[in-house]
Amino acid sequence: MTTPLLDVRNLSKTFVARRGFMGGESAVVHAVSDVSFSVAAGEAFGLVGESGCGKSTTGRAILRLVEPDSGAVLLKGEDVLAANPRRLRALRRRMQIVFQDPYSSLNPRRTIGQTLTEPMAVHGLGSARKILEAVRMVLAEVGMPIDAANKYPHEFSGGQRQRIGIARALVLRPELIVADEPVSALDVSIQAQILVLLRGLQQRHNLSFVLISHDLGVVRHFCSTVSVMYLGRIVERGPVPAIFDEPLHPYTRALRNASPVPDPKAKVIMGKLEGEVASALSPPSGCHFHPRCPHVMEICRGVYPSWVQVAPDRGVACHLYPAGIGSTVSAAAAPGR
Amino acid sequence: MSEAGELPLAVDGLTTAFRVEGRWYDAIRDVSFSVARNETLALVGESGCGKSITALSIMGLVPKANGRITAGRVLLDGRDLVPLDETEMEKIRGNAISMIFQEPMTSLNPVLPIGFQVAEALRYHTALTGEAARARALALLEHVKVPSAARRFDDYPHQFSGGMRQRVMIAIALACSPQIILADEPTTALDVTIQAQVLALLAELKSETGMAMIFITHNLGVVASIADRVAVMYAGDLIEIAPVEELFEHPMHPYTEALLSSIPRVDRDAGDLKPIAGQVPPITAMPSGCRYADRCPLRVPRCATMPPLVGLAVDPNHQVRCWVRAADESVSA
Amino acid sequence: MSVIAVATGRGAWARLGAGIRHHKMASFGAGIVILMVLSALLAPWLAPHDPLEQDVLLRLASPSADFPLGNDSFGRDILARILWGGRVSLYVSTLSVLIAIFVGGALGILAGYIGGLFDRVLMAAMDVLLSFPTLVMGLLVVAMMGPTVGNLILAITLTAVAPFARIARAPTLTVKERDFVEAGRALGFSHLRIMVVHILPNVLDDILVMGALWLATAIRTEASLSFIGLGVRPPTASWGGMIREGFENILDAPWLAIFPSIAILVVMFGLNMLGDGLRDTSDPRLRHE
Repeated sequence: MTTPLLDVRNLSKTFVARRGFMGGESAVVHAVSDVSFSVAAGEAFGLVGESGCGKSTTGRAILRLVEPDSGAVLLKGEDVLAANPRRLRALRRRMQIVFQDPYSSLNPRRTIGQTLTEPMAVHGLGSARKILEAVRMVLAEVGMPIDAANKYPHEFSGGQRQRIGIARALVLRPELIVADEPVSALDVSIQAQILVLLRGLQQRHNLSFVLISHDLGVVRHFCSTVSVMYLGRIVERGPVPAIFDEPLHPYTRALRNASPVPDPKAKVIMGKLEGEVASALSPPSGCHFHPRCPHVMEICRGVYPSWVQVAPDRGVACHLYPAGIGSTVSAAAAPGR
Repeated sequence: MSEAGELPLAVDGLTTAFRVEGRWYDAIRDVSFSVARNETLALVGESGCGKSITALSIMGLVPKANGRITAGRVLLDGRDLVPLDETEMEKIRGNAISMIFQEPMTSLNPVLPIGFQVAEALRYHTALTGEAARARALALLEHVKVPSAARRFDDYPHQFSGGMRQRVMIAIALACSPQIILADEPTTALDVTIQAQVLALLAELKSETGMAMIFITHNLGVVASIADRVAVMYAGDLIEIAPVEELFEHPMHPYTEALLSSIPRVDRDAGDLKPIAGQVPPITAMPSGCRYADRCPLRVPRCATMPPLVGLAVDPNHQVRCWVRAADESVSA
Repeated sequence: MSVIAVATGRGAWARLGAGIRHHKMASFGAGIVILMVLSALLAPWLAPHDPLEQDVLLRLASPSADFPLGNDSFGRDILARILWGGRVSLYVSTLSVLIAIFVGGALGILAGYIGGLFDRVLMAAMDVLLSFPTLVMGLLVVAMMGPTVGNLILAITLTAVAPFARIARAPTLTVKERDFVEAGRALGFSHLRIMVVHILPNVLDDILVMGALWLATAIRTEASLSFIGLGVRPPTASWGGMIREGFENILDAPWLAIFPSIAILVVMFGLNMLGDGLRDTSDPRLRHE
């Protein structure tokens, strides 16, 4: 088997939240626990979940914008977390990030041209003329006019700013882009423009994406594989149509059912899922989802379910699937390794 | 339906102008719609389409410094609200019409317990005082399903999750048994599973009390699950209004059509999204005719003048503001 | 240093310039300040007499056609001494404020950007500095190290560093949370580059506004220290020193103290108008763009 472009293994990150007088009380938040997945070259991988589930932290940990506590992130086999500052700089050319908020992601005091040339100049990529040519190309690629280079961010709309943010991510010609809610702040019609743009880039450059989103529709449209996260852990992973059409984990099912569909005949099953997302400060014992789960069993309260590979490309962490579905072999084989 | 008295709220030809650098521009123009008892009308559109300005105009909350209603009427039980002064409007706001906002954290006072804030609404608008107000406030919080409401009565807003705060806001909105609830993106800031709970609550309360609800949102998925009728706005114009199933099945305005095919859907495999090219013109450079014309594939010379909102021959409840599509329909009918 | 040139190049200055032109109060203040600075700079040519030239016959002479502001107790021309004294006052205050902007600004941005323990310790130190009244700090330094121009500048700088560190730190805290800073890290930019190229231009407006207001304070401090004899040594003219000398004869020849006082008043008035105006124009809520 060929090495995937990105291989994330057992990634964990805890934050210490300080509260009370002078930060006297402190509590540990397990933002990301034991997260593993891999992304092939040219693949769009989705990370989906509700706020506070750790999907953004995971994305930033991949780029080492936050330092993970443990685990490994391999980019074409090279360990990102072990890289020294010089190696890290070189690695960062190969993976980039696109942000949610197009108003916060561009420096208001710098022209678009400055924003786009700076990365190339810093990495010493060619002469001034070559850099200018590259900026011209990348602007054209994201559908912006060349004269945008002389303007400041406030002269553009949200959708245009998001295009510029994508251009900045592209200018170093990365192999992987982490896109953190890239269309959530945009209007519906602009969302579609950006998604079509990203899809085109993915196909033209064989770019890999880690798309982080709370919107199942966006993930279904853009990704081929998806992981569902709940309170810092991946609860289910698999190919996109299967996960959304036949979800295994009760949480995935609840998320799917609660997602509004623009079709009045397919009324969402409203309010079925009781209760609220528990605080990451004190996640429930056992399976974190058990207080809200309609299928809760005794074991769920005490033991976190282990990962079960129910099919070669599909896995779930839920006691409902103790030995997997028709794939006892892989489940039984797993502990042996 | 034709009796005006049966409609708790009717908006007729509402036009609100805003001043930008010394000049007045119409932010919404000629907006007309009505809501019946026990009906949810969704007001849908993208940012800048005028849906929030419509809400502010109804509530008499257009900032006086640089905004004003230049034409039209807002009829509450047949009484025009536009000429009323601030004192009279205060009696109506929170009483006959209540509002729910997007961000409950900024609408709730952070230094007062939530129970007190619900009781305060009661004391202000009704004759209830002291223990009676407190008891009624508790009943309201239980009604909107705040878990263990009695124990949490004296908790502060920051001790509640976003979904719970929105329930508290709904309790305050319900305090005076309003005839009309005006909900401005009430679930946009919430996670989907919590959004579903709040939508379910609102639908339940509406059918229980028979009040009318105007639900402002940009999310067509939410519209499909909660609305009875839908009014689509674009760049300050109300361009289409129809019963919900009719709108999603037979969108008539080219913008509505394009909007519906630009949504990535969770229930369908990735088809090709069809984005709408271009963007909404700025308020200072609006065309005088159809404001969608320069993005519209069906544009004809006639679009340079503003089309009227007309009912279709096949279904007069389905109204559309488009020269091309309205003409097509009447020919085919 | 190219990094710094890029950051300070246009942007903030151009915006402030435009702001001043559109703001009546700011442009009036700027006019006064420019006039006073020019008259100090051109003192050798403007002054009708030598500021050090003594004439016993003209001791405490009242204003006349030849000496429009009168003469002091040594018979020196007060007009000439005010013009030359302005050079000293403006030189001392401008230099100390510039150093304070540089040091305080850098410390503030560093503290805000790095955060954590470094931030807390540094800001605690700044609070200690801040707790000294300007004059007490001046007394302390000058009394310990001697009344030279250098020590005067050091004293004023020391009191001004803390406020500039505070004013630079606050916006740094918000700017560093913005996504473009994280984007810079993802693009492999060094921390120094992020602070200088990306954060500094976003906090410069606040610092410059503060600079104008502090310049006024610095002029007053210089005058106060010279007044109590801890400033510039005689016979060199300085406004504070002139007021002190004039004070001895305040009843017989009030013009000795009044004219340098008016000079200080006018410069401080101009600088405060300029600073307040700048604050208005750099406030995005008041900007019409």
